Amino acid sequence: MSPEDELPRRVRVTAPRTTGRGSGATFPVARELAEQSEVGRVFVASLIRSQLRLALVVAGGFLVILVSIPVLLSLFPDIHGVTVLPVPVSWLLLGLGVYPLVFGCALLYVRSATRNEHRFQDLVDDE
Amino acid sequence: MSETLLEGGLRLDPVIGYAALGLVALTTVLIGIYGLRISRTTGDFYVASRTVRPWWNASAIGGEYLSAASFLGIAGLILVSGADALWFPIGYTAGYLMLLLFVAAPLRRSGAYTVPDFAHSRLDSLLVRRVTGLLVVLIGWLYIVPQLHGAALTVRITTDLPAWAGPLAVVVVVCLSVMTGGMRSITFVQAFQYWLKLTALALPVAFVVLRLAADRAPVTAGGSAFAPELDTVPDAPLYATLSLVVALLFGTLGLPHVLVRFYTNPDGPSARRTTLIVLGLLSVFYLFPTVYGILGRIHTPELAAAGTADATVLLLPGRILGGTAGDLLSALVTAGAFAAFLSTTSGLVVSLAGVISQEFFAGTVRGFRRAALVSACVPLLLALLTDSLALAGSVGSVFAFTASTLCPLLLLGIWWRGLTDAGAVAGMLTGAVLCGGAIATAGLLGAGGGPGRVVLAYPALWTVPVAFGTMALVSRARRAVHPPPPGGCWPGCPPPSPAGRRHPGTPGPSRCPP
Repeated sequence: MSPEDELPRRVRVTAPRTTGRGSGATFPVARELAEQSEVGRVFVASLIRSQLRLALVVAGGFLVILVSIPVLLSLFPDIHGVTVLPVPVSWLLLGLGVYPLVFGCALLYVRSATRNEHRFQDLVDDE
Repeated sequence: MSETLLEGGLRLDPVIGYAALGLVALTTVLIGIYGLRISRTTGDFYVASRTVRPWWNASAIGGEYLSAASFLGIAGLILVSGADALWFPIGYTAGYLMLLLFVAAPLRRSGAYTVPDFAHSRLDSLLVRRVTGLLVVLIGWLYIVPQLHGAALTVRITTDLPAWAGPLAVVVVVCLSVMTGGMRSITFVQAFQYWLKLTALALPVAFVVLRLAADRAPVTAGGSAFAPELDTVPDAPLYATLSLVVALLFGTLGLPHVLVRFYTNPDGPSARRTTLIVLGLLSVFYLFPTVYGILGRIHTPELAAAGTADATVLLLPGRILGGTAGDLLSALVTAGAFAAFLSTTSGLVVSLAGVISQEFFAGTVRGFRRAALVSACVPLLLALLTDSLALAGSVGSVFAFTASTLCPLLLLGIWWRGLTDAGAVAGMLTGAVLCGGAIATAGLLGAGGGPGRVVLAYPALWTVPVAFGTMALVSRARRAVHPPPPGGCWPGCPPPSPAGRRHPGTPGPSRCPP
């Protein structure tokens, strides 16, 4: 058996496995941001501001709805008596109803945040 | 085989417990060993080399987030306090929404391994790093203790072993799997355990409801299961509900084992997608403890009187089904409960070990293993020395403490340029002293103490704003003395990756402030 037929020595590979796409066209953007040009800074600042504004709006809306539930229940205790089939409305609302609201808010945020980033990307690409 | 329900139905056949315990421990260690084979670098140990895909990551987050309080505590709390208990799962889920909105993408891009790392790179202060590290470790330990109490309860009910064997078994299994495989293998274990927990709740409850329907037995007893007369504790006042919601919503932001998960995402958008999946997984999961609680109000009301309401989930399937089916499903539920203790504890131990080893063991793999041992054994001692409280309640207190300390640091650190090191330390210490003091005082006062006790037992509604306010005011006062560096990246802020993606995540101010 010649040496070439021997199995290759085991090599330990330690580089992180990534699923990312290659750099290519986006490199100039990264470089521009790295250079901290005036334009780059303005774009990043506007992206951060719009993401923060979006997060505050979604969180505010969600909190207002969520907090209004216990407030209404304590202001109008009669609500406890209302039932849908055998289940009281307050149990339905708290046990089931809040979860679609949470998920809806999350979906709204993720969609809008991604759109903000696309807009940011387009702006930077135009430069 | 209804004789397997021992002691008036307050215990199960020990064989069920042993089988379930052994099965979960074995699977956990096996998956941990599998993870070891592909865990090679320090990056693997700390953040799984940042390559975990969203579905895996989301299952893993769900796996470690759904703790003893979720698996056993919520049903137990519904048994004793009715609709008020529904706020706990709402708060746990909505806390994740807050995490998605304010923290997920920016924190991922800040380039830090742990929360103290983030604080250090953002504020360039060793003092802030130390204080944050201390708080993270303290919160982690306090959060592990209820898990171990849950394990003690489960072992007492499902086996004939002494109660201390439960916490000990959990700590041993966690140490074995964490020390061998680190973050990457834990990710697999956690992801498996989410699905185990979901199955362990969903399958038995489906059989229970079918059986009840077939027997024409009462499911909700014509709505009387919801009657407030069944509650054994008085209704919570509006203040307590609001304070609890604040604690759970903002406490999630700072939980160390939750935060470290976002570092294992490949990029910001996938961190956001992960959170979205987590929200779906949590929403589905929390339907089941609620159903157990409602069924328990009719079928196992005596558990509330016996002070073991948290055992509702464990005992209900055997009580209603009986026979071999009942035994098998009881074993499944017990396995799910152990998965809950194991996954939350190991998640916490991983993140604590990350922090402790970075601070004291130079951040090596060997240091990580030693730190894992330290971070698991201290809460074991605490758990053995203290008595179990209601699981959901004690976890709620930890959330309040987190919301008053780490949450302001994260939110202001990410979104407000004006935060200074002095402000961060002052705010965190104020929050820690006020919140910790209030909860301790309420505990000492006991059930007495009048109306003022509610304000102390549920402190988040006032301690969180005070902590935020202190942080902001002290930062403003000190800004004139130590102005932030003009222009350019802040210290420790990584430059944009040259392998930039087509759609970058939110570049938080900690990356390149305007």
